[in-house]
Amino acid sequence: MKLLKIGISGIRGIVGETIVPELVMDFACAFGTYLDLKKVLVGRDTRISGPMLHEATLSALVSTGCNVFDLGICPTPIIQYMVKHLKAKGAVSITAGHNDLKWNALTFINQDGTYLNMFQGEEVLDIYHLGKFTKVSVDHLGQIESIDDYLDFYFKKLKKFLNTESIKKARFKVVIDPCNGAGAKIIDVFSQQLGFELIPVNNEPNGYFPHDPEPRPRNAQEVASVMKVVNADVGFLLNSDVSRVSLVAENGETLSEEFTLPLIANYYLDRNQGTVVTNHSSSRMIEEVARGKNCPVVKVKVGQSYSIQSLINEDGVLAGEGSGGIAIPEFQSVFDGFLTMGLILEIMAVRKKKVSELIVELPRYHIVKEKIYCPPTKIHSVVNEAKKLYADRDIDSADGIKIEDKDGWIHVRTSATEPMIRVIAEDRSKEKARERVEEVLNFISVLVK
Amino acid sequence: MRKATSLRISVSGVRGVVGESLTPQLASKFAQAFGTYLGSGNVIVGQDSRKSGTMVRKAVLSGLLSLGCKPVEIGICPIPSIQVLTKQSKAIGAIAVTASHNPKEWNGLKFINKEGLFLNYHQVDEFLDIYHQGEFSLVEVDKYKTPEFKENPTEPHMKKLMSYFNVSLIGQKRFKVAIDCTNGAGAVLAPRYLEELGCEPVLLNCVPDGSFAHHPEPLPENIAGLCRIVVEKGADVGFVQDADADRLAVVNEKGEPLGEELTLALASKYILSQNPGPVVINLSTSRAIDDIAEEFNVPVIRTKIGEINVVEQILSQEEKPAIGGEGNGGVILQDIHPCRDSFTAMGLILEYMAKSGKTISELQESIPRYHMIKEKIQGTQEKAYRIIRQLRKKYSDKGEVSLLDGLKISFKDYWVHIRPSNTEPIIRLIIEAKSRDTAEMMIEFWRKEMSEIVKWK
Repeated sequence: MKLLKIGISGIRGIVGETIVPELVMDFACAFGTYLDLKKVLVGRDTRISGPMLHEATLSALVSTGCNVFDLGICPTPIIQYMVKHLKAKGAVSITAGHNDLKWNALTFINQDGTYLNMFQGEEVLDIYHLGKFTKVSVDHLGQIESIDDYLDFYFKKLKKFLNTESIKKARFKVVIDPCNGAGAKIIDVFSQQLGFELIPVNNEPNGYFPHDPEPRPRNAQEVASVMKVVNADVGFLLNSDVSRVSLVAENGETLSEEFTLPLIANYYLDRNQGTVVTNHSSSRMIEEVARGKNCPVVKVKVGQSYSIQSLINEDGVLAGEGSGGIAIPEFQSVFDGFLTMGLILEIMAVRKKKVSELIVELPRYHIVKEKIYCPPTKIHSVVNEAKKLYADRDIDSADGIKIEDKDGWIHVRTSATEPMIRVIAEDRSKEKARERVEEVLNFISVLVK
Repeated sequence: MRKATSLRISVSGVRGVVGESLTPQLASKFAQAFGTYLGSGNVIVGQDSRKSGTMVRKAVLSGLLSLGCKPVEIGICPIPSIQVLTKQSKAIGAIAVTASHNPKEWNGLKFINKEGLFLNYHQVDEFLDIYHQGEFSLVEVDKYKTPEFKENPTEPHMKKLMSYFNVSLIGQKRFKVAIDCTNGAGAVLAPRYLEELGCEPVLLNCVPDGSFAHHPEPLPENIAGLCRIVVEKGADVGFVQDADADRLAVVNEKGEPLGEELTLALASKYILSQNPGPVVINLSTSRAIDDIAEEFNVPVIRTKIGEINVVEQILSQEEKPAIGGEGNGGVILQDIHPCRDSFTAMGLILEYMAKSGKTISELQESIPRYHMIKEKIQGTQEKAYRIIRQLRKKYSDKGEVSLLDGLKISFKDYWVHIRPSNTEPIIRLIIEAKSRDTAEMMIEFWRKEMSEIVKWK
């Protein structure tokens, strides 16, 4: 079976298999029809397949009569910011985030700069399935305007939001690895704006990913070794569209991406108390941090769209996922890697602490994440079958299976992007977390054969 | 009555109406079929100046990229220049986004092989099979190529023109030439070309923005503006190109349009006077060419309609033809490139003027005079077929019948040609007679003959 995921916020698949010009055009036509002749932004990450999807998207959007602002290669959070700045009705971001080069995707963004919500997404899907796209005659075709001087608008707002004075004074030395993705070169502007010394690695927007563009410890060795040589204060890894961040501490420890959210919560919730949104697979660290600040936590299904919808509905102050995506509505309600890096630098500057010292302040849990292949046709029944393991326990079925107890939890769910079952467990003890995961994997491995 | 379809797929490529039949999906699938047919490599992508050019071009780029082809973008470029460039570069083919002389609602794709020639019937068949089967050679990401942009794509064409013509002879005359590019692709080359030939160009509709100040077919009724400019500015000659600059019509120094049939007649007369050889023309081309050929004692070979048919015939002749073309203003000179080329036509006519020392109206006098009337009648292929079948029976013993393309019947003092268009959902009715009266009488007569068979509304 070929891999294609069609969701409310867009489509994702393997280029040449499911991601072909016609499908991209059909979806872009559906989105253009939904936008009803209004202005739309288009941007992409650096993937080699990017131009194919980009040209198809532009052609389709103008055929529906939408005028397009073409941002070229652009990180998703900046596209999301520019939607509001240019008062457009929506945007398409062409990126497969943390997936490897074989993948690409279209993500649809609404006029508020957030991923389409359920209602909007389902409307676009209905138009797609109906196949009746708006077709305008030659005099009404959309026009394409290339926009290239947009970074100033975004960074001006970011500088204002952050305590830029303190960051500048601290004169940090920072290693950033944008993985040759959409953040490449733009991090140069970012460092100038915040006044830190940047030591970049993989900073060419050429679309060749030296490692999977997923910010997590196993991809962090290069950053860690460069940091040692230059004696840097912190290291950051970005995914291909700068929506997720993981950290490397000044002592060379490659930190789990799970730390990014609690680190920020531990600082930001002091300033702005309110509801925190996270997903069922994220570390318990965030719950303990929030509880300590008297902030309620709401847990939702995995995926930026669900987190942000809940953030808006609950009028929350912070949303984030264990995978390193952070949104702060006071700045903008989107997972924003520049905001995340900026806030970490602000925390270090204002509290005058090293990253390793900030980590020590957090409750320490150990998280183990595994995934196992499962044919897409069986995936839901296998997850359902796994409930038998926990016949006597209280099962939370909001997103697969989740069992919690006082020391930790286990979460078994289907991947939103691949034909995989994800098994994630957390415990105060590393061994126990591993045991929780092994128990499920042993049970499932027989079923998926 | 079934509505005539707005999509035409034929030996001349694909044409459709934007907003109806010509969608991004369709353009991309044709590009994929073409790329699959060619195999992977560099594919040149050019366009005429139509406003829908961007939409169609981007769809083509996406389709080519999905196959691992490397698109070489050249922007707005005359069709003959694209053909010359394709032959001289290492590209495996080219796609031109153009609907030639169709109205502005239309756009389309023309497919060019690595020799710089349009696909012939057999190649089109193979290519369409791939399109209909829908199995394209999609590649994985690691075989993807990055698009390239090429500057000055008209240079190879320009060089060929400059080395062929007697530039110093033309230049001595300092001709004042009024040029109407129809806001088409010709505008990127024509003004500079005329200057290089030592002429003084007077520009009309020379911004290639697809605004089409008049209908983009160079017929007398569409070029009143040029006629006026010729008189006002005292130009020696006026030229008008169609939107993709393969066809040319001429206006004399008195501001009178010659009629597009005269373009090839003048060019042929000049070429044959210099270098006699066979002439290859299509079935609808004026008898004037036969008379001129007779004067120089060279044979005339007639082909089906469609540029590639004339070109194939030229390339397959044992004795190298001196010239070829179509009566619609398409002049083909193999020594420059075997394609219709308005720039070649301009050069020939200017060199003829320079060498003979005569004005256009004087040269026009020496061409045998015929009156041709061309009509377009709304109608499908099906209707054309019924008309042709019945009229063929009725007239088989009254004139000389040719079924090479549609139905052509030649009588002593006139001929009639009825055939479905390759590019639009219309039936063409063409009459050519020695006198205007006969032509007008006969067009009435044949229109009636046709309408009795299909009963138009």
